[in-house]
Formats: sequence, C-alpha cells, structure tokens
Amino acid sequence: MSEALKVLTANDLAGGQVVFLSEAGWSDRYADAVIFDDAAAADAALEAARAATLTLADPYLIDVAAVDGLPVPTSYRERIRALGPTIHPDMGPQADGGVLVQALQQARGAARSSGRLGLIRRK
Amino acid sequence: MFHYDAIDAAMVADRNAEFRDQVQRRLSGDLTEDQFKPLRLMNGLYLQLHSYMLRVSIPYGALTSAKMRALAHVARRWDRGYGHFTTRQNVQFHWIKLSDTPDVLDYLATAELHAIQTSGNCIRNTTSDPFAGAAAEEVDDPRVWSEVIRQWSTFHPEFTYLPRKFKIAVTASPQDRTAARAHDIGLVLRRNRDGRLGFEVIVGGGMGRTPYIGSTIREHLPAEHLLSYLTAILRVYNRFGRRDNLYKARIKILVASLGAADFASQVDAEWDAMDRPRLDLPDLELARIRASFGLVPFRTLPPRSERFEAARSDPAFARFARNNVVPHKIPGYGIVQVSLKGIGEVPGDCSADQMEVLADLAERHGHGEIRVTHEQNLVLPHVPLGEVPALYAGLAAAGLATPNINLVSDMIACPGLDYCALANARAIPVAQAISRTFADPARAERIGELKIKISGCINACGHHHVGHIGILGVDKKGEEFYQLTLGGSGAEDAAIGHVLGPALGADKVADAIDKLVEAYLAIRQPDERFLDTYRRTGVGPFKAAVYPDAHQA
Repeated sequence: MSEALKVLTANDLAGGQVVFLSEAGWSDRYADAVIFDDAAAADAALEAARAATLTLADPYLIDVAAVDGLPVPTSYRERIRALGPTIHPDMGPQADGGVLVQALQQARGAARSSGRLGLIRRK
Repeated sequence: MFHYDAIDAAMVADRNAEFRDQVQRRLSGDLTEDQFKPLRLMNGLYLQLHSYMLRVSIPYGALTSAKMRALAHVARRWDRGYGHFTTRQNVQFHWIKLSDTPDVLDYLATAELHAIQTSGNCIRNTTSDPFAGAAAEEVDDPRVWSEVIRQWSTFHPEFTYLPRKFKIAVTASPQDRTAARAHDIGLVLRRNRDGRLGFEVIVGGGMGRTPYIGSTIREHLPAEHLLSYLTAILRVYNRFGRRDNLYKARIKILVASLGAADFASQVDAEWDAMDRPRLDLPDLELARIRASFGLVPFRTLPPRSERFEAARSDPAFARFARNNVVPHKIPGYGIVQVSLKGIGEVPGDCSADQMEVLADLAERHGHGEIRVTHEQNLVLPHVPLGEVPALYAGLAAAGLATPNINLVSDMIACPGLDYCALANARAIPVAQAISRTFADPARAERIGELKIKISGCINACGHHHVGHIGILGVDKKGEEFYQLTLGGSGAEDAAIGHVLGPALGADKVADAIDKLVEAYLAIRQPDERFLDTYRRTGVGPFKAAVYPDAHQA
C-alpha cells in the first residue's frame, strides 16, 4: 500500500525563509505543515499559492513519507530545507528542536514509508 | 589602491536606486516573480535553500581594511555574523532578506562595494592574482589590466545579455594563481623578446558539466589592443554562442565545436574589420589607472629580518612561516597568506569579528590591503618580515593562523546542499571530515602540496575538475554519493582530472582520501607532489588503494 502524501512549501517573498502551508496560513515550522493525502486538494492549494505572489516565492509540493508515524520529506534536499544547514544546528528551524526535527535529522537517504499512516494528521 | 571616481560612484548609486524601486514594486505586487527574478539576479541576489543570498563583488579580489570592515558590518547587521569567500574571489552573505537588500547595497556603496557583475549573463568580476603588486616574478601589475576590463565591461550595452555568463582571468606571473586556463578567457601577461607587454589569450576553458582547458588563440597580443581584441572575441561569441540550450551556451562549447583555429580566424576577421583606436584604451587613462596602483610606500629594509628569524624558534611560528609566508618582490617584505580552512571549519567562512581583526591587522602591518584568493583564502600582500611575528600572534588569537596553505586540509568547497538550491549533495561536511582526518600539521607537511576541491553538483563551483583530487557530490537514488577524480590542476600545468571509480558513500570519502594519500607516500619519488606522482604512475596504484576488490583491467 502506498499513499502519496504531500506538503506545500515556498519561500517567504520578503524574508526568503522557508515556509509551509499550515492550518493557520503559512508557517516557518515544518511541524505545522498540513499533510495532503488527496492529490486534487494538494494541487488546488498549490494553485492558490501561485496566485499569492505578494507574499510567496516559488511554491511547490514536496513528497512526504510516514516514518515511524511521523511525516518525513522523502528527499534529503527537502529535509535539509526544512531543518536549516546541517553544519549549523543553531541556525534555521532545526534550532527549535522537537520530535519531528529529530525524525528529519535521523532520516537517511530516500525516506521510505513505514506504513504507519494512522498517526499523521492529514488533510 | 584604485578608488572609484565620481562616474563610478554615480553609476553604483543609480543602479542601487533603480533596484530599490524594483524591490519595492515586487513587494507591492507590481512585478511578478518571473519579471523580478532576472532583475534581482543582475544585482547579485539569489534565492537559495533557506534564504536569499547576496553575492558582493570584490573586483579582482582586492580589498582594503575599510572595505573589510564594511563587509563585517553587513555580516553583523543584516546577516548572521559571517560571510563566505568564494572561488570567484567574491563574498556571499547567506541570510539576507529581500526587504533589506536596498539598504545593504546603499551601505556597501559607501565603502565602494556593490553586487554588480556577480550574476547574470554578463561579463563577471575579473579574476586576478592575489599576489598582484607583490609577486617577485610578475611582469606587470595584473590589477591594472583587471581594472581596465572592469571599466570596459561594467554595464557594457553589447555584452549584458550574452548567451551565458562570462568569466575572464588576468595573471602576470608564470605561476598561475587564477586558474586562467579554466576561464572563458584567460589572459597571461608576458614580455616578448623586445620587452613589449603582451597577452597570451586563452579561450574556451571552463568547468561545469563539460570541462575544458582553454586553447591559446594568440601567443602575444600587444597589451594596448586588449579591449579591441576582447570585443572581437565577445562579438563572435555573442553572434554564434548557442542560446537554444543552456548546457551548450558557454563559449567553451563554441570553441570546441568550431575548433580553436577556426574560432581564432573568426575573431581575427572581426578584429581586422573594427575601428580599433575607438575601442582600445587611451594611453592617458591607462596611465591614470596604473598610477593608482603604485602608491604603496615601501620602506628600504634589510632583506633578512632578525626578529623574523628569531621567532622561528617557536615551532608553531616556524610552521606558519614555512607554509603561509612567501617572498615579496621588495627585500625585507613577505606575502602572508591567511587560511580560511581551520581544521574542521567551513572552507571560506569568516566571521564578522575575524573580518575586523583582519582589517586592523592589515592596517597595522600590511598597508591596509587584503586580497581574496580563488582558493577561498585571504592574503596580506605587503608585510615587513619583522612584523610577521606580531601579525601571526594577532591572527592566531582570532583563529586565523592555520598553517596549511596548499596542504591537504586547504580545500576548496562550494556551499553545497547546506545552502545552495542547485546542489545535489553537501560539500562542506565532506571537507570538514577530510580536514579532521588530516588535522596533524606535521603529517600534512610531510604530504606536501595537495589540492582537494569539492563541488556539490556538476556546475563545479568547487572546481573539482581541476583538483589534484576532485570530489563531486551526486544524488544516487536519494542518497548523497561522491565521485573522486584524480590528476586535475587549475594552475599553469592545468588539466582536467579523471574519474577514479564508482562513487562512494558520504561516510567513506575521508577514508578514501586517506588511502590515496598513503598510496602516494608509499611510491613517491623525491620532490614529487601528489600530482606529479599520479602523472608518473597513472591511476593504477591509487585505484588499487581505494577499490582493492575491483578486478584490474
């Protein structure tokens, strides 16, 4: 069984920092991100983000897999983007710590789904 | 030191005002991202992984103490307290906000700094010898000619929308510290038998996914015709360079497809047809530029400094003196190289505090001049030998006295996937791991000159193709892997390295470098550098060291 999970991300236009679509608008924290399991809903959100040119630069969808019940970006590029530079753990969102930050830091290679999707709050 | 005149200052101010307006229109929604992106890229502002990055130009790598202090201020006020010196002799700030950028640029302009020609498909900042004006063997000051090129190329209306970016290097020493043969145009200044200055003109070098060592299309171009001849080259490129394919748009592809001889004859035809006196630089302006670089008030000193020699009784200073200090053209002076490759540190990074220390030390001991090298180090070019011990103490207190210039831990590394939106893999952690592996300075000295260069993607900002050992990060099915190449060089013996074997996992790279080094130590002959041994023996012993299980062909 594989279910395609997506998160919508962009960079903040004025500040440049990485942002994720959350239930309460755009958040700097990956932990706040809405997890889409419906491709049509994800695409609709992306279209809306593309129209929000006053606040966002380069919105796009990233693939997410459930690893031990936590949503982890499948590509290490997106994990680094969600965390901050790996050489500076004090910089970027990773500085806040937390379970999800640890999960992202511990993920290796192309993160694969462990199938435990039930724990993830989805949209 | 060259200073901007009123025209330069007005140009920068106009450009900054224009960009301030463009940023405002982007933030208010009058410009879309698609409209705005090429505008910000013409002002050095990139959107990277975590933030915007502002690349500030350091024309031909020449800084003053005042400029260094301005960079420190930018790092502290608008960034996160540090900057990153690049393989293009520029400096990058990795945490800049778009909304702050107009203020940053206005501030930089007060110190004669800007971000012009650091991005876009124009003629970029000219690379030059960090030892300019100090090297004993140079035939002329290459900064003079770099400044000529700067004045000619900045906002050149004909060459602002080239098929692709365009990089020129100027060196005037037999020892090439600019990677001239890996540039779109490399200019090597020499005197011919009559004593006349002329350029060897090398065209079509480059790195990226299709690396080439440039071809010489003219052995001795009379120096006074530099601008008309460059114009002829750029015109041929502008006309025939490929605009249909991003990957084939650099001049190296054009030169390779036409052949150097054919390309040269096209340039000559263009050059013969043009009104050269109108394009070449008037002697008066050349004299004005030249005069501005000749003003260092050198003292008459004994060639040997007792204070310098006495300080060598400290083994740490002696090591620094051996590896980081080289002779100056003026007796009693030295060229002091400052490594930005502290063991386990990020290659090229420099904190605001360190920048200020360097500015102070350069003022106190080095006539206020600081140079940036394409190998991501800094140079104080004019230091009286008797003051080197005091300079060393100041550098050591700021963590800037690592005695490893040209040694194994003096690596180039691009920002890689820790910062860069184009990268496929990280480069900095690999450099850090190798640096720690070779932390012992005595061992590093025994190994001798060894240039390791690391790129996080095929665009090759980390110059891996011309590393004695090159390391290229690749994405293999979602994991970071690293491909090793051997035998490259960016110096006067320029060469492209050859792939050693299958790519290695991130945790295997430092160990593989260790094995390559041990293989070299086991078979080297007297006075052979790693590169020399590789060239003598070929890949065999090195391949066997890293891939012992592979069947040898």
